[in-house]
Amino acid sequence: MADFRKLVAISLLAGILAGLLLSVLQHYQTLPLILAAEQFETPSAEHVHDWQPMDGWQRNGFTWLFNGLTGFGFALLISASMYWRDQRDYLPGLGWGLAGYLVFFVAPSLGLPPELPGTDSAELHSRQAWWLFTAASTAMGLFGLVLTKQRGLQIGGACLLALPQLVGAPHPEVAHALAPEALQQHFVLLTAMNNAIFWLALGALSGRLLRKVTFQ
Amino acid sequence: MKTLAASTAISTSKFLTGFTAIVLGLTIVLGLGFLQDANNTLHNAVHDGRHSAAFPCH
Ligand SMILES: [Zn+2]
Repeated sequence: MADFRKLVAISLLAGILAGLLLSVLQHYQTLPLILAAEQFETPSAEHVHDWQPMDGWQRNGFTWLFNGLTGFGFALLISASMYWRDQRDYLPGLGWGLAGYLVFFVAPSLGLPPELPGTDSAELHSRQAWWLFTAASTAMGLFGLVLTKQRGLQIGGACLLALPQLVGAPHPEVAHALAPEALQQHFVLLTAMNNAIFWLALGALSGRLLRKVTFQ
Repeated sequence: MKTLAASTAISTSKFLTGFTAIVLGLTIVLGLGFLQDANNTLHNAVHDGRHSAAFPCH
């Protein structure tokens, strides 16, 4: 239990700090693009009565909270993996951060790129299912490829990395986006960059903070 | 030659501690990234965050 509390404390601190960094980057880069894309949307009548955060501090506050909490969750995955493998310090942490970026951002984005509001997509549940399958398959694939020494497991890992991309993400029959294509491309580029910085910072911070504690 | 089992052998308590942390982490991430509620309150709160993290949002 004592070890678990230390993992939680490390992850909370790393998650909040990396989440803050991501929030600042988003504030100046991608959130203006989301707001711009919304100008092309007409709100659907059925959703117009639902509660929404007010534009400004309230709306931004929820996004900052989302970034801090997901940062906490992702940092738990990193610190637990490093704890299992007796790793500490920022260099192995960077490696885990890179792995997290590949598993949770790059691999799913290859099939389902980050989208601006107003982009038509395939049915939500099928996209969520493909996203989960892709993250799980990529995580197991990376493990087999990088962390095992056996030829067979490494080949199996490479296959698991390729599998979700070969299966392919669900896409609508007729693609249609309200926002201009250039805006969407700009959004994908900035999102990819911001999340890379977020994941590397999260990994390095988690690894560095692990040096501060001794486990039982 | 070191086998996979020998090189990654860890105690049961250490395994469970790490495993619990991973379950908690995945619950937080997948809850925030994937849950949909009937009147869209949660969705509308986390919408921008999801779009900026490449989660399928709506
Ligand atoms: Zn949404």
